[in-house]
Amino acid sequence: MSALVVAEFLKFRTTRSWIGFLLAAVALTAIAAAGTVGSARNDQLGTMALSRDIVSSSVFTAFVAFLIGIMSVTTEWRHGTVTRTFLVTPRRGRVLIAKELWIALLATVLAALAIILVLAIAVTWLAVEGSSLGLDGGVAGFVGRIVIASVLWGMLGVGVGAVVQSQTPALVGAIIWILLVEALITALLGLVDLEVVGEYLPGRALSSFDGTVDGGLTMWAAGAVSLAWVVALGFLGYARMSRQDVT
Amino acid sequence: MIEVEGLTKRYGSTLAVDDLSFSVAPGSVTGFLGPNGAGKSTTLRAILGLIRPDTGTTTVLGKAYRNLERPIAQVGALLETFDAHPGRSGRNHLRVLAAAARIPTPRVDELLALVELTDSARRRAKGYSLGMRQRLGLAAALLGDPEVLVLDEPANGLDPQGIRWLRDLLRARARDGGTVLISSHVLAEVAQTVDEVVIIHRGKLIQHAAMAEVEAMAAGSTIVRSPDSDRLAGLLTQAGLDVGLLEGGRLNVAAPSERVGEIAAANGVVLHELTTERATLEEVFLQLTATVESG
Repeated sequence: MSALVVAEFLKFRTTRSWIGFLLAAVALTAIAAAGTVGSARNDQLGTMALSRDIVSSSVFTAFVAFLIGIMSVTTEWRHGTVTRTFLVTPRRGRVLIAKELWIALLATVLAALAIILVLAIAVTWLAVEGSSLGLDGGVAGFVGRIVIASVLWGMLGVGVGAVVQSQTPALVGAIIWILLVEALITALLGLVDLEVVGEYLPGRALSSFDGTVDGGLTMWAAGAVSLAWVVALGFLGYARMSRQDVT
Repeated sequence: MIEVEGLTKRYGSTLAVDDLSFSVAPGSVTGFLGPNGAGKSTTLRAILGLIRPDTGTTTVLGKAYRNLERPIAQVGALLETFDAHPGRSGRNHLRVLAAAARIPTPRVDELLALVELTDSARRRAKGYSLGMRQRLGLAAALLGDPEVLVLDEPANGLDPQGIRWLRDLLRARARDGGTVLISSHVLAEVAQTVDEVVIIHRGKLIQHAAMAEVEAMAAGSTIVRSPDSDRLAGLLTQAGLDVGLLEGGRLNVAAPSERVGEIAAANGVVLHELTTERATLEEVFLQLTATVESG
């Protein structure tokens, strides 16, 4: 299995798209961090609440991990590399598991880098303003949530990719789902007083888990629901891939 | 050893492969022939575990492809669709495959040299010509130094020198006890390479024979012209030969020219023309596949 994970890293590194992903992750994270620190009122400086907001501005990398996860699968179909992949590893479930493990590692690294980036920006900015960044156990816990959320988002992406397989529909569909469809479903559920069900949708659950939305499920419940989505999409993807003809 | 047992595959309303059975023995090169759309690629993809048969089984080295311990070290495959990422260099394409199969990187460079791609190895594959793509595919097939080779139209895009190189390589593999199955839609293209041919048409087996037998089918007939053609036709028919009447009173006899000449001489028949008409391999191939079409 470790050989397959290494191969996935090599696949990612040997096309140029990773540069774009990295730049997107850095740019989004830096803008979010600067925005958060820059818009802080004087009475917020040094508070733990501000520190939490600063840390959570690194959550954009989770979205980048989600897109990378989707594309790591769909690009195989788009360019026909899936044929060679399955010739080398005919047990297709192993390919899927290797991709899930790889994206988990990559998402961890991306999230860690993003957190370092936002902290560096915040510490520098606050120092210029004569303030400092407050840190406590709560903030540290928040860091852990961001990392785990990135891993879950990335793995969810692999599952989406395995289920949908064609690149553009998978990417566009996933983005529209997260930005629009979930809100729409929740609103419709609200008409029959069931908006609580909307909290169990994957994007909403993950956002409750990483703390970027308030008032949803509790952290543990949101984490469990998110994990359930990751597993469910992984199985659906496997079910589709395992019996599929590659022509 | 490759074995195909009662393989049937349907795509929607199209029957791509219809109850096909054949086996490929080690120590030989077998040509897998049929016109375009005969079901060759579908059969090869079934052997390689890429498509699921509706019924029937395929095994390589006694196992279903997906149950092989180290697939690419046991079976080398080349399919007609290009399977490298266009944005990845040829060398990195092979490195990815090598990494997944735990094959050391020096083997990658060895193969790039073998297929003469070293100079372009670090360029992105999207700029590769058809021949370079084919050679990269062959390098991928040979990466694990497999005992069995399954190659779909391997001569595609290769120049005459490349075709010759490939022929020598495949012959050497077979000599060393390897099992080689190569598909083609042109019999003449593989005639010098293969020991056996499996001919399919519309998904059905037409012929599984030694190449020598197929060549014998092309041995052909004799065209003979005589001022006394009616009498000659009678004599030849008496001798048990098939005689056809051509325009201008010429006869087409299904026998070697020596035999026809001897019969004419023994009976004092004057001949004005005695020509051997050799069917080309392609004509034999067309004949074989045409029989099914009419039936």
